[in-house]
Amino acid sequence: MSLIECVNLTREYRKGENIIRPLDGLDLEIEAGDFLALMGPSGSGKTTLLNLIAGIDSPTSGSLVIGGVDISSLSKRRLAAWRSENIGYVFQLYNLVPVLTAFENVELPLLLQKLSTKERRARVGEALEMVGIADRHNHYPRQLSGGQEQRVAIARAIVTDPAILVADEPTGDLDKPSAKSVMLLLQRLNADLNKTIIMVTHDPHTTEFAKHTLHLEKGRLLEQAGVAESGVGEGAGR
Amino acid sequence: MRQLPFEYAYRNLGRSRVRLIASLTGSALVVLLVLASAGFVRGMQLTLTQHEGIHENVIILGTGSEEALERSQIDASVETIMAASVPGLKKEAGVIYASPEINMALPVRESAESDADLPAVMRGVRPVALLVHSAVEIVEGRAPNPGEDELMVGALAHAALGVPPDRLALGRTLHFDNRDWTISGRFRAPNTVMDAEIWLPLTDLQIATKREASLSSVVLTLDTAGFADVDLIAKSRLDLEITAMREAEYYRSIAAFYRPIRIMIIVTASLIALGGLLGGLNTMYASFAARVREVGMLQALGYTRSAIVLNLSEESLFAAACGALIGATIGILMLDGLSLRFSMGAFALTLDAPVVLVGFLGGLSVGVVGAIPPAIRCLRLPIPEALKSH
Repeated sequence: MSLIECVNLTREYRKGENIIRPLDGLDLEIEAGDFLALMGPSGSGKTTLLNLIAGIDSPTSGSLVIGGVDISSLSKRRLAAWRSENIGYVFQLYNLVPVLTAFENVELPLLLQKLSTKERRARVGEALEMVGIADRHNHYPRQLSGGQEQRVAIARAIVTDPAILVADEPTGDLDKPSAKSVMLLLQRLNADLNKTIIMVTHDPHTTEFAKHTLHLEKGRLLEQAGVAESGVGEGAGR
Repeated sequence: MRQLPFEYAYRNLGRSRVRLIASLTGSALVVLLVLASAGFVRGMQLTLTQHEGIHENVIILGTGSEEALERSQIDASVETIMAASVPGLKKEAGVIYASPEINMALPVRESAESDADLPAVMRGVRPVALLVHSAVEIVEGRAPNPGEDELMVGALAHAALGVPPDRLALGRTLHFDNRDWTISGRFRAPNTVMDAEIWLPLTDLQIATKREASLSSVVLTLDTAGFADVDLIAKSRLDLEITAMREAEYYRSIAAFYRPIRIMIIVTASLIALGGLLGGLNTMYASFAARVREVGMLQALGYTRSAIVLNLSEESLFAAACGALIGATIGILMLDGLSLRFSMGAFALTLDAPVVLVGFLGGLSVGVVGAIPPAIRCLRLPIPEALKSH
């Protein structure tokens, strides 16, 4: 059984008299441990799909089952709790809290869980170690480079040990060396920790690090790209 | 509901120094304003209604002069008649607690050479007045001796006259009735109109004002007698043209006279405080609007809207509390005991515990009311849109 199952997934927005449909009856299955890159032109629905999977948006129709849970049926409060346990979100602009240190930023999602201070600190330390930024744990975001900030953001995303990492243009604001380093880190998290990663990107270079690349256009899957190159493909798209 | 750490709330205050200063100042000003207006109302209220012994005292005054003792004129014999006719007046060491008094507002001068009239509230009394008015305590010097052109001044008499306190030091003089009067004593009668008065021997004031045969009032202290006993005698002696009033009732009617002023002050202070509140709202709107994306991120992590509203409110409340503390400290140091003139003499702004509490709560309300609408507005955007905002 797939980790993520989207069936006839549709998302509509009303804008004045017009109805905009960024996702239009999308069917998709994503296996656990996959590293999927979503590409497509602006307005193709890739970020909408990412947000639905992340549980920060709700579909207008269709079903979205993740880990056996139909998240479209959850209340806002239960959805928030579900997100905190199952999803790690990596943002393009890192979204670190400027008044908190790297350590405290990574600690934020853990405060939603019932953990002792000692356990919490240990897990933050592990996450920072894993992304190679432990020596900067006392630094504030303004004291870090863009690449370092994104590493802290990734540590924050993995610290709760979620099954799924969603990344919205994770290298969009980074220079090439930093971008490569971040992509290698994501690849390692996928390989070593078996995290399922779904990444939205405009940069074809970053797709090289993913196991699959899917192209969306007008709210539908256009093709299953990159299968030949990466040698994977089962389960991605249907 | 899992909460965001309080550190997040208070550290956010450091993001903008200007905003922090605006929040602190706004809250401090609201507290100062509330303290000033509540202290005014409280001080006046205490002065007119709360003083010690007031509930046992009955004032005998001229019929038709119930609204102002200064206008009252009764025959000098009323004192002995009432003392003899009302059984059950308080009595100690043979002295019946019946105090004949003259109450007058008179212009006095600092010296014979001075041409500025100072508005003094004078009370001509006998020594028994110190028994009847138990709130009065001589704190310096002694009571004035009759026939020696002496007087004693209350602690706030300087405020009523509009002179510095040291101008009414022992041994200094005041000029009226073409002669100098020496200050022989100073007394205090906190939270009473007497605190701003000048007391002198009854006979001296009678002579100075050429009303030897009349008094303004006789104040009686009840022991076993009830007010009805005194009232009955007052009503039965039609020839004396007198009325009996409970002292508390007299001052309640005076307090009622000043009620519109108190309301005006409260309304004015409330309107200015409302302005402060709107300013606070504006500051918070600007502050939270700049953090919409961050708030979206917190929701994406799994924090609920109510947890975020609570944290933003904590932030605002913390700033307001600091400002309120500053405002309350300044208020207590600068306003408490500050004397103000009014037609009955003077009274002191009173910043007691209830007033300070009201002021502090006023400051905190800036924090709460100023934060919740901007916080809710900040959270109104769906998470995906919030994450896209700049």
